[in-house]
Amino acid sequence: MEPALKFENPRSNSCISDSSGSGEEVDHGLEELTIITNFPESPLKGPKSPLKGPKSPTKLGINKKISFSTSSKSHRVYQSGLRTLYTSGRPPWYDSHGSLKEPFVIGVCGGSASGKTTVARKIIEALDVPWVSLLSLDSFYKVLNEEMHETANRNEYNFDHPDAFDFDLLIATLRRLKEGKSVEVPIYNFITHSRDQSTRTIYGANVVIFEGIMSFVNKELLDLMDMKIFVDTDSDVRLARRLKRDIAERGRELEGVLKQYNTFVKPAFDHWISPTMSSADIIVPRGGENLVAIQLVVLHVHGQLQKRGFKLRSKLAHSADNGCKKPDTLKVLEQTPQIQGLHTFVRNRETARDEFIFYSKRLMRLLFEYAVSLLPFKTVSVDTPQGTSYQGRRLDADKICGVSILRAGETMEQALCEVCKDVRLGKILIQTNFDTGEPELHYLRLPKDIKESQVILMDATVATGAAAMMAIRVLLDHDVPEDNITLTSLLMAESGVHSVAYAFPKVKIVTTAVDKEVNEKFHILPGIGNFGDRYFGTDFEKLVPIDRTPMTRCYSEPGCRDVEQAE
Amino acid sequence: MVEPDLIQDSLPHNNYTDSDLGSNFKKLRITDNVRELQTVLRDKTTSRGDFIFYADRLIRLVVEEGLNQLPYRHCDVTTPTGHKYEGLSYQRGNCGVSIMRSGEAMEQGLRDCCRSIRIGKILIQKDEDTREAKVVYAKLPPDIDQRKVLLMYPIMNSGNTVIKAVQVLKDHYVKEDNIILLNLFVTPQAAKALVKRFPNMKVLTSEVHPVTPNHFGMKYFGTD
Repeated sequence: MEPALKFENPRSNSCISDSSGSGEEVDHGLEELTIITNFPESPLKGPKSPLKGPKSPTKLGINKKISFSTSSKSHRVYQSGLRTLYTSGRPPWYDSHGSLKEPFVIGVCGGSASGKTTVARKIIEALDVPWVSLLSLDSFYKVLNEEMHETANRNEYNFDHPDAFDFDLLIATLRRLKEGKSVEVPIYNFITHSRDQSTRTIYGANVVIFEGIMSFVNKELLDLMDMKIFVDTDSDVRLARRLKRDIAERGRELEGVLKQYNTFVKPAFDHWISPTMSSADIIVPRGGENLVAIQLVVLHVHGQLQKRGFKLRSKLAHSADNGCKKPDTLKVLEQTPQIQGLHTFVRNRETARDEFIFYSKRLMRLLFEYAVSLLPFKTVSVDTPQGTSYQGRRLDADKICGVSILRAGETMEQALCEVCKDVRLGKILIQTNFDTGEPELHYLRLPKDIKESQVILMDATVATGAAAMMAIRVLLDHDVPEDNITLTSLLMAESGVHSVAYAFPKVKIVTTAVDKEVNEKFHILPGIGNFGDRYFGTDFEKLVPIDRTPMTRCYSEPGCRDVEQAE
Repeated sequence: MVEPDLIQDSLPHNNYTDSDLGSNFKKLRITDNVRELQTVLRDKTTSRGDFIFYADRLIRLVVEEGLNQLPYRHCDVTTPTGHKYEGLSYQRGNCGVSIMRSGEAMEQGLRDCCRSIRIGKILIQKDEDTREAKVVYAKLPPDIDQRKVLLMYPIMNSGNTVIKAVQVLKDHYVKEDNIILLNLFVTPQAAKALVKRFPNMKVLTSEVHPVTPNHFGMKYFGTD
């Protein structure tokens, strides 16, 4: 299926149509809809119907916008004002056992002002994959004491020596990044020669590019790199650039810069940097201008990334073992008539949206009361106003933190707040890639001290478990202990339960019901439908544009079920 | 570490309640979570904000459990995927009755579960001279005799107030087995008295304990 329109300009690869139901279509909306009619069947059942075909529209469930991608190219960028969102997120960086795939680390070395950063940036641009992290050796200068600071101000401190860098911290940081963990990168202040209070958090890199003048000096560091690039630029060019940068950008005097160059920078290059050229895999002459070299590097990295990737979700869907007994970590809410009654409302496709919201919220409240009861408790003794003491129980955890998997998980936040007072909330956006059927990580914001918290992970439904596993992997990468994680959900499929329990045997899985099957579109059967769409009212049951007449739409709400025909 | 016999001492009453009080007397399933709610409500250092928050949570759990006692019938529905779900639906014709004042604290919990349920009120006060419970005011749905009644009163010491209220309901031709009493804390005496007097009424509580948190109403409404 080729779409009727194909945009070459990456900016217009994604078109956005407003789905808030106002009936007005933005200009390109109609064009978009014409494209959609080319599909053999209604493609807009919901964002979780991924495998309709390679050109299925992508749906971004934030800001109530839908973005239809009409290009199968990988650079799908959704531009809205100042914000840019990649519609292609991070594919899984772990296997179906939950174990990690290492990121690919590229080291870039070269003399001062040789264009290392430019080369690194050009590689990132040409790679055209999100989830690339750039790490600079400059961030790892040692903090200078008062005396050294004075020396530095007289331009007599040697910044071009391996001793000027905190290699221990650097190696620890890079090692953590390689393990897929989140890292705090210091921000070095070149005026005070100390580290700023704040740090930069890097997480979730598939490719890490590390650049710096002494990148190849340390043996241990070299071992962490998968590919080593040396940027070789003529020394005159480098001096000219350096003069310009230090005087214009770092506000220094010509005299001092030249003195530093002659005493430290030049000898350092000859003594430390130039010899490390022999460690490099590729030497790039002329730095960032050398497009052929950069293209070669990119080709190699793409090949390497291809090797590491594989289809995770389809594997998960088929890994379900129906004969298997339910894992011990699975806790299902007691099936009282009340729970079944609530499920009847929520699952019924005839249920109006306000009722759907009301009853699903009741179900969530009970779910969280149950999930919280499974956290660790301790015995305490309290004094009562009646003058007696009372032996009771209190939660044995200082902090509880909720993390919702957007979009459907977000609906559960309020119920959690009603059960856990002053709970802090994090968010993770995971969407299904319609081309590959794989979940992809797009966005994430977690409370700072999450590693000391009991974490309640929320998603309305868990079908294959692919998104839940990705979210759990994210939490583990942020140092949350596995047994501090509780995955909560209104409805799970058996296959999802098994996949999650198998990959993460210590994660508690709490749900209100478990269904047997998942169909080929990864929908749970009999299921609940697309929870997020039903809750937020973004579901279209039918979308049938007629040539020049206004849209004929049909929402699933009974109140709006009548199809409005154009006169 | 807590001494084991200390725990024993504080819970001697929970053992006999279940067997002695018959099948119509039900206790909320006691999880650590529920125990925490009870502990916070009993702790005299609890702030009023926390008290209300935790009381509302406990009330909600009791109400949800109370709704479990209502009649239902099987009902199949079709899910959005086109498959059949074998569910059940509750029958209509229920109402709530709160015993003023502290029973009103439970109204919101019921309202949060059943948005448009009818709620009647009964005010019972102690006669200063005779020390007897007296009905001061009662406003009930007109067709209450056709309905299942969720009677709400959080703290029962002697049970006299509730006995009086049930009497009012019976005077309005409500059948005894159509009444479900929702309660948070009850003394063993009150529990026994109620079961003896109205054996067909369903009673649901969260804890049977000789000391009840009698400050409940004052702290919840902030009139202490």
